Amino acid sequence: MKGSVIKYERDNIDTDVILPGPYLKIHDYAELATHAMEGLDKDFHKRVKPGDFIVAGKNFGCGSSREHAPIALSYSGIKAVLALSFARIFYRNAVDGAFLLPIEIDESAYRDISDSDSLEVDISKNEITNLTKNKVYKMKPFPDIIGKIVEAGGLFNYKP
Amino acid sequence: MPQTLFEKIWDSHVIVQENGRSLLYVDRHLVHEVTSPQAFDGLRINKRKVRRTDLTFATMDHNVPTSDRSLPIIDQTSAIQIKTLEKNCKEFGITLFDINSPNQGIVHVIGPELGITLPGTTIVCGDSHTSTHGAFGALAFGIGTSDVEHVLATQCIMMEKPKTFEINISGKRKNPHAITAKDIILSIIKKIGTAGGTGTVIEYRGDTISELTMEQRMTICNMSIEAGARAGLVAPDEKTFEYLRGRRYVPKNYEEYVNMWRENLKTDSGAKFDKSFTLHADNIAPQVSWGTNPAMTSDVTENIPFPTEYGKGNAEQEKGAEKALQYMGLKPGTAITDIAIDRVFIGSCTNSRLEDLMEAAKIVKGRKVSPKVRAMVVPGSQLVKKNAEELGLDKIFKDAGFEWRESGCSMCLGMNPDILKAGERCASTSNRNFEGRQGAGGRTHLVSPVMAAAAAIYGHFVDVRELDLN
Repeated sequence: MKGSVIKYERDNIDTDVILPGPYLKIHDYAELATHAMEGLDKDFHKRVKPGDFIVAGKNFGCGSSREHAPIALSYSGIKAVLALSFARIFYRNAVDGAFLLPIEIDESAYRDISDSDSLEVDISKNEITNLTKNKVYKMKPFPDIIGKIVEAGGLFNYKP
Repeated sequence: MPQTLFEKIWDSHVIVQENGRSLLYVDRHLVHEVTSPQAFDGLRINKRKVRRTDLTFATMDHNVPTSDRSLPIIDQTSAIQIKTLEKNCKEFGITLFDINSPNQGIVHVIGPELGITLPGTTIVCGDSHTSTHGAFGALAFGIGTSDVEHVLATQCIMMEKPKTFEINISGKRKNPHAITAKDIILSIIKKIGTAGGTGTVIEYRGDTISELTMEQRMTICNMSIEAGARAGLVAPDEKTFEYLRGRRYVPKNYEEYVNMWRENLKTDSGAKFDKSFTLHADNIAPQVSWGTNPAMTSDVTENIPFPTEYGKGNAEQEKGAEKALQYMGLKPGTAITDIAIDRVFIGSCTNSRLEDLMEAAKIVKGRKVSPKVRAMVVPGSQLVKKNAEELGLDKIFKDAGFEWRESGCSMCLGMNPDILKAGERCASTSNRNFEGRQGAGGRTHLVSPVMAAAAAIYGHFVDVRELDLN
């Protein structure tokens, strides 16, 4: 996976800013995507390109259980969120529907990665390469089963 | 080996276990209009049925209007979502408490009210505040729409076993009318943080918890998710059994169940928790949140903190507080009691039950809402509304200038017309003060029902301990 970074230097980016409540009535995923991150960054929709990564701080996706949050990011083109940590329901939703990869990174990678950097993520090696800065970071390996669910394309396609 | 209450409920629901993951049986599934449509679509596409229609209950709460229910719903997207739930429940054979039902209400208010919520059971719902049901000693998880579909189809959920977290709350509150369950849970989140409970199931224990009523315990368990926990639990006791006795969906041989629950549903002495925290309730003050997450909370007697003071050397914390204060339009050093408010919302799955309204009414009675404030009460369910009206609470609130509305989630999450305008400041009894939660640009301060009521009267925050009760 290759893409460029949209960085939010914030902890506790909650599902209400990722996809504000009023849009929970929208059924069409492409339309949902036009409101992704609207609570925090009105220009996100104009800026995001297919394959981009979001980089953020601790407890990403805290709050509501709305699966609309990872769906909106996914249909915006976001392939992975790289964060210091995730709230559990968001993490689960992201994996369940194979919407995007929730990747845990450490403090040094978080500090080092800048907005607009180009990254290459290799899950098989648990490595993130910063192509802009020519550096390699380790990501926290996925528990075996999480990787398998994502590879299968989500919970419903996964066969134990 | 001695076990915690959580471990007992968990073990009794594991169907299979493999590589640290378990398939867990679900005893009750609660469904609402917002997180279910795609799940039902999924069932249809794959020609699946609902596995246990008898264990699945639905209502509409998130986007129902709280105005006159005899009028058509103006917002067409809401109307469609509500109609869709009706159609889905009919097609799949699920019990629905629809918008005109005397049992309609916030899903976490009606579950206990109807005796759907029972001790020792597993409960899931496509809503993060499902943790509320833990007040009855039920293991209750909030889930997303994929999991909703999975549970509808299989009545099971795949999960990694959470860790255990004991929160001891001990001591006598000096003034139980003014220092509420909301102040206890906000005090806890303030200390352990918004991710303090991540990956754990919290068991709330101690003499203060024993003293609380069922409705107060629900307020505490409700906000477990605000500390990042998977669920919150309180061991059931005589208060729990008494609350549920005679309710519509409790088992026929109820007393046999009570005997079994009394015997089994407690943490054994000597059982070990993965994590522990103690809160002394003796010295808690009424709490007011000032930031954009529930951990950004202070005593009503304090001033808005300086970001450096809040950060305590942690640069991220400091920056977070700075951004929060900017969004909230607050200056460090301002006395919390000097903050003027525009709106008051008494409602939500955290604080919209009968006792919440009774306590708030004690403050409101014989007083008038400040002319600068628009204040509303949104009872959690039609039953709460009816019971409150029988006590004359509606009259007390209306006489003071509050709006008395129909039941639903309302202004807690801004999905229906009850929203804040940009820049408006609200004293709210809900659970989340996230940016834009109650309307784009709206500013939310989380407080207890009595604190919200007092703020409505005075037009700014006041220490309810100093008010006379009527």
